[in-house]
Amino acid sequence: MAKYVLKRIVLACVTTFIILSLSFILIKLLPFERPLGNDTAQTAYFDRQYNLGYVYRLDQQSDLYGELLYKSPSNKGKSSYYYTVPVMTQYVHWLENIFTKWDWGDSKTFQPNVKASVIIMKRIGYSIRLNIFSVIFSVPLGILLGIWAALKKNSATDHIISTLVMIFISIPSFVLITFILKIFAYNFGLLPSTWPPDTSPLSARVQGYIIPVFCLSFSSICGYCRFVRAELCDVLESDYLLLARTKGLTRRQAIIRHALKNSMVPIFPSILSEFIGILGGSMILEQLYGIPGIGKLFVLALNYKDYDILFVDMALVTAISLGAGLITDLSYGFIDPRIRMGAKNS
Amino acid sequence: MKKVLSILLVLAMVVSLAACTKDEPENNDNQTTNAPVTTDAPKTTDDPGKTDTSTPAPTAEVEPTATAEPEIPWDGAYMEKEDFLAYTAHDLESIFEAIEDQLDDAQYQTVKTVVDNGIDAINASTSVKDAEKAYEDAYNGIINAIPKADGLVTYKKENNVERTNILGILEQYGVANGLTGISVFENGGYTMYNERITLGTENYIVGYGFGTLAEGSINADLEYETNDAWKRYYHTYESSDPGTLNYLNNQGQQVGDLYSYIGASFVTNFMNATKDGYDWVPELAKEKPQPVNDDDGDGMCTTWRMEVKTGDDGLKYKTGSEMADRKAFDGRGVALEDYEYAFKLLLTQKNELYRGSELANYNGDMAIAGAKDFYDGTADGFKADLWEKVGIKTYVENGKNYFEVTFAGEQTQFYAMYYISSSIYMPIPEDFINLVTVKNYLGFSADGKQTPVDNSLTTGAYYIERYDSDQQIVFAKNPYYIYADTKYSIPGVYVKIFPAAESDPTAAIKEFLAGHFDAAGIPQDYLNDYKNDPRTRSTLGDNVTKLNVNACDAETWEYLFGENGTVTQTEKANYWDVKPVLGNAHFRKALSLSINRQQFADSRGNVASVSFLSSDYMSDPENGISYSTTEPHKRAIEQLLEDTDGAGYSLELARDYFRMALTELEKDGAYKPGTKENPTVITLETAWRYPQEEERYQKEIKNYIESAFNDDSVCGGVYKLELTFWVGNEWTDVYYNKMMLGQFDIGFGSVSGNSLDPIGFMNILSSDQEISHNFTLNWGVVTNDPDVYPLVYDGKRWSYDALFNAVNGQAIVTDGQNNSVITISYNEIAKNDDGSYTGSLVVAPALPDMTNLTITAIMCCNYDRYYNGDGQYDEQPVEFTTDQAAGGTYTITFTVPAELAETYTKGEGAPEEPTGYTGFDFYYDLEFNGSVESTYYSVDDAFVIE
Repeated sequence: MAKYVLKRIVLACVTTFIILSLSFILIKLLPFERPLGNDTAQTAYFDRQYNLGYVYRLDQQSDLYGELLYKSPSNKGKSSYYYTVPVMTQYVHWLENIFTKWDWGDSKTFQPNVKASVIIMKRIGYSIRLNIFSVIFSVPLGILLGIWAALKKNSATDHIISTLVMIFISIPSFVLITFILKIFAYNFGLLPSTWPPDTSPLSARVQGYIIPVFCLSFSSICGYCRFVRAELCDVLESDYLLLARTKGLTRRQAIIRHALKNSMVPIFPSILSEFIGILGGSMILEQLYGIPGIGKLFVLALNYKDYDILFVDMALVTAISLGAGLITDLSYGFIDPRIRMGAKNS
Repeated sequence: MKKVLSILLVLAMVVSLAACTKDEPENNDNQTTNAPVTTDAPKTTDDPGKTDTSTPAPTAEVEPTATAEPEIPWDGAYMEKEDFLAYTAHDLESIFEAIEDQLDDAQYQTVKTVVDNGIDAINASTSVKDAEKAYEDAYNGIINAIPKADGLVTYKKENNVERTNILGILEQYGVANGLTGISVFENGGYTMYNERITLGTENYIVGYGFGTLAEGSINADLEYETNDAWKRYYHTYESSDPGTLNYLNNQGQQVGDLYSYIGASFVTNFMNATKDGYDWVPELAKEKPQPVNDDDGDGMCTTWRMEVKTGDDGLKYKTGSEMADRKAFDGRGVALEDYEYAFKLLLTQKNELYRGSELANYNGDMAIAGAKDFYDGTADGFKADLWEKVGIKTYVENGKNYFEVTFAGEQTQFYAMYYISSSIYMPIPEDFINLVTVKNYLGFSADGKQTPVDNSLTTGAYYIERYDSDQQIVFAKNPYYIYADTKYSIPGVYVKIFPAAESDPTAAIKEFLAGHFDAAGIPQDYLNDYKNDPRTRSTLGDNVTKLNVNACDAETWEYLFGENGTVTQTEKANYWDVKPVLGNAHFRKALSLSINRQQFADSRGNVASVSFLSSDYMSDPENGISYSTTEPHKRAIEQLLEDTDGAGYSLELARDYFRMALTELEKDGAYKPGTKENPTVITLETAWRYPQEEERYQKEIKNYIESAFNDDSVCGGVYKLELTFWVGNEWTDVYYNKMMLGQFDIGFGSVSGNSLDPIGFMNILSSDQEISHNFTLNWGVVTNDPDVYPLVYDGKRWSYDALFNAVNGQAIVTDGQNNSVITISYNEIAKNDDGSYTGSLVVAPALPDMTNLTITAIMCCNYDRYYNGDGQYDEQPVEFTTDQAAGGTYTITFTVPAELAETYTKGEGAPEEPTGYTGFDFYYDLEFNGSVESTYYSVDDAFVIE
């Protein structure tokens, strides 16, 4: 078991390294975007890129540095020549800083000079809180609806629940929030239309969770509902449940003691992966509702081309995803002792 | 005899009929042939406005007399003779009207006669070529009647009225030659304000706004706001968190807007007493700049000074920080040296401040003397000896505190005031910067614990009260502000970070309507509902969106962009296929006339515009007079507006000009007609920034232009115009990869410059990249050629470049062309028998009598040995001789001794083994018109050691 866990952790690290390396190289290979402006503005801009370590500045033209990005206008006969720093050189520096100093770099444009890791840590709390509330809200509700639908299989209740599930599972959270905002925030003014700042009173901040948690939860509720219904229906039709009934258990006893327990085996591990899924799904929702979490930060870092933040954000989400995958796999063994991790085929 | 005559007459009629119907469009029922109303050119028909050209009209006008010469059939393909001649005559008249005010009496009479005769000759023409020749003859007559400008000229010291006249002349030149592009709309629009806001004025003031904060007030709480202290704050939004308020190190507009709340400058603007303009009022200064070295008393000089306010005058710093070390600066008086330190901070290269680099790299007269040299020399930190040479000084004289600035060139009082009035020069104590560090100033600390609240110190109207990342930025009124008692009665500004506004154009107005914001622009979807709402105010813009045009002919394109192009060098395989239609002035005019700007702009909540410059540009910045309201501007765009709907749109005229253009282009052999079934397709690529602009702009513009041209009445369908869509990977590709390289037909453009210096912004019309600072977007003629269009000012003819330079500084003009003080040409170096190398440099002064050149040194530098291992620049002086010919031309001959050349042996390229690539720096003192400049000229890769 320990060997298996260790192996998985090592593999997770290797996977993270590969993902980040590929991301770094591919993102850095994007065309160099320069702003619009005359020579004065251009020279100032490229000086800034030089200061940030993105370009070389030479006093003469050279064939050693690839494409010439910009040549400043002649000043008393002298110009400066700006060349991009090769991607692999940047990559090596980046890795060196991480492995030798655990320095993930500073923000360059989003929040200049601030450590990328500091920016992430300040924001991760918002995303985690939001997702925890969402999971707390969606899991019981989804499971209950699924159980209800399964128990009322093929009845009108089941059909209504299933139809609604099909409809709402198809609506992305960022579409849903548009409608909810219009109705509850703008038309009736019952809820805040944007994320209340930290300086707001507690009641306002609590209200601020309602819309995003609801929007994030909706598809989860539907997913759990569908999943639980399917699993429970299978179990309810299984032989051992029939045996339980023939042995004298009431339907309620059979369902609670045997059906529900067994149907939950594949459901509980999925809660963990759901948590990760919501982290990704909240990216757009955070942007729309103005939640200062890491999902929104990822979008902003991409827009700002603030690569160090982007890579820390990516590393974090990758690590959480891989970690959650590992925990999910391990949890099967705890929930169902028949499943043994890392066991060899006999 | 009668029979013979009758037969001849019938034959003549048949020939005429056949000729007239031969190339007529098959279906041109809708064709109109209205000549421009303003022309009084004699018409050869009694009915110039008739609309049906399918009837062979000329046959009815032929007098069947026995002695009449048979009329020569008209060879214009798509336009009737009368109309073609009328339009041609109108073109000639337009030129005359554009220049007549600039001619003296004798010139006026001569030119008038030339024009009148030209119009007569045009009207007497019997073919397109004849008419074109008559026009050309008259054009040459005009050109020859006006002498070209010569000498050292400056109009910089002229008053605003005269400079506005010159601006109008430059603009008119741009319009006539396709250099101003095709303007479509200005980015003004409609903004809604909360009823609780009392604006400073109800009428938008160009360049100032409504005076919302400075002169406005708030008379009720914002219910939505949960913090009682902020209920009377002005509530606005930003779509993203800028992450810093350090405008000294930021190139974006957003930080500049936010910084303006806390910034203060030497002189600022406040609304005038009549609330229809603004005044310039000393803020940190006690007075407007006073001349120091105006020796000739013309009101212009390089050094200006102002008495400035300090702590003794009640000017104090304010911070919102609660940290004890920061709070110690709260209420501290401003010291005189703090003004100078603000510039030291900016210009020290080691501080890596974007605005410092920008300030150091300013070109021309507005640069601060010595700033560039100081910047270049301070990569390792501040240097006191270099600072001594920078044109920034503070001193006390007779008990008064003075700030003094020296510019590279002479300035008027206004521009001296303007160039030095930026709030990035706000004073700051050196010990405060030492405390917070340059990196953290106005931003966050690396660990995020100190926010801009802690790292800022202000003398402006507001200070930073809170900064919550990605949530809100709050500014509170600065009680120490110098005008705190009389201005800025609104107690604070609350800026919500509202990312939804970035992706949803209606998000902000929804927030406004819900009572969360105090103001919001009205997006397109809400225009119908709220355009006439009592809370709505209309604003003018600061930017005009244009379709930039590549109006070059093949020859000009080759000159500018070809293998040896003056702008850029393009390989033959990558030559752009220039479209002759765009080189035709009538076609360009037709394009402009095709676009229904009013409809286009109205549907987007913008302002229709045919102007190159937006309403924000001031012809008299001191008094706030917009150039768009002046007569010179109205004259310049007259040709775009005449006989249109008032916004430059006329479908009938557009089609007339398309006919005219096709007639001319076909005669020139540029195009051959197809058939209605298989038309000749003219494809114009339109380049844009973003893919979504195809839906947003292109489709509608394409429809306007194509439906105007492709109507059967234009050419009967034998030509078809198609506009295609192009977009690059990056939004700037349309500028850097298309327009600036001449690789385009039509391209989106929306750029603006310094709105207080519209004449300076005209530089981007020049094809000379030194003048435009590599920012030319429209191409057509070579703008240093005075003969391509009669640009006349003060009774003389100029090239565009020459007049531009003359009005912006000084121009050395030879035969109407702009010239450099000296022209340097390098003669290839050659190896001598003894192993030495000899080369020469020829320097030709434009004005020899006013020029004196002294070569001080010639340094030889092998590039591979550039850094000779110890980081030092490795160069050796070589001997030279200077000869001056009778015409003033200098010839400098120099020799690289064999011993020196041998040290540059051919190797691998390392400092120890140089490949031999060697260049020279020629150091010289150039004395021109009394002023001396020490500079140098470099020749790269001059020779390779064999």
